[in-house]
Amino acid sequence: MICPNCGHDNLPGAEECAQCMQDLTHLDRPSAQDRIEKALLEEPVSVLPPARPVTVRPTETVRQAVQTMVENSVGAVLVVGDGGKLLGIFSERDVLNRLAGLHDQYEELPVSHFMTPDPETVSADDKLAFALHKMDGGGYRHLPVMADGIPQGIISVRDILRYVSQLCFE
Amino acid sequence: MDLTKNLKIESVCRLNMSTPVTLSPRDSVRQAVAVMQQHRIGCVVVVQDGKLAGIFTERDLLKRIVAVGRPLSLTLAECMTAKPVTVRSSDPIGKAMRCMTEGGYRHLPVLDEQDRVVGVLSVRRIVRYLVEHFPQTVYNQPPDPNAVQKDRDGA
Repeated sequence: MICPNCGHDNLPGAEECAQCMQDLTHLDRPSAQDRIEKALLEEPVSVLPPARPVTVRPTETVRQAVQTMVENSVGAVLVVGDGGKLLGIFSERDVLNRLAGLHDQYEELPVSHFMTPDPETVSADDKLAFALHKMDGGGYRHLPVMADGIPQGIISVRDILRYVSQLCFE
Repeated sequence: MDLTKNLKIESVCRLNMSTPVTLSPRDSVRQAVAVMQQHRIGCVVVVQDGKLAGIFTERDLLKRIVAVGRPLSLTLAECMTAKPVTVRSSDPIGKAMRCMTEGGYRHLPVLDEQDRVVGVLSVRRIVRYLVEHFPQTVYNQPPDPNAVQKDRDGA
């Protein structure tokens, strides 16, 4: 690892130059290799832009929540309490894994029984790579975009892939 | 490592998709749901006489069964997505990605040259491909970029 200041050959991973004490940490930071990678690393979630979240109250029934999802053509609704506070997320995957074939008469039960509580979130300033990492790690397709504990928007994996597609083929 | 170029030249077969879970059009929605829950997948492929007949996804379950109160005893033939959009295993990954974002599909059956279903490409697999492509960039993102210590350490 050659110090850009004095040319001294340091051990790889050194934090400062052994000869001139120059800070070398920036040399180890990842750098973008191409356009898409650069965009994911530098652009915030707000460029997508996030969609307005479709919300339901925790006391609404599963039937109402499912209707809301179908009417709005979304795969997930946010469950919000008093003051718009985020309580959970209810998605198609929850319908598949927590309801279908497992419960009788679930339509009239409150959606809060079947939602995923305290979901992973991002803020509008977080970088796209950070959001992608969260989606990959947890297998999430939707992330609420938060400001001061209130969901201001929602991003989906489709939004990010659409953005990547546009960069790739423009 | 030029991702833009690789998306155009690397083909879908490179993604090592797992063998698809297939059912017949006469199987019930209940069976499909059980299989999807067991394998933790979002769709099953419906095959008849060795050819792709349709797919049944969690979206179909939501819209065509749960939302309208139809029973799980229906056959897949009655509620699957017939003639779904497909990709070839030789198609570039970028093409499959664009197909998904434009059509809003999260799963694409992958066919070989003889029109046999060789896999299902999920949106999740595409995300994994992107992340694998530049692990340094993505995995070096801090767990919480806004983490700020509220109090000073020490005195």
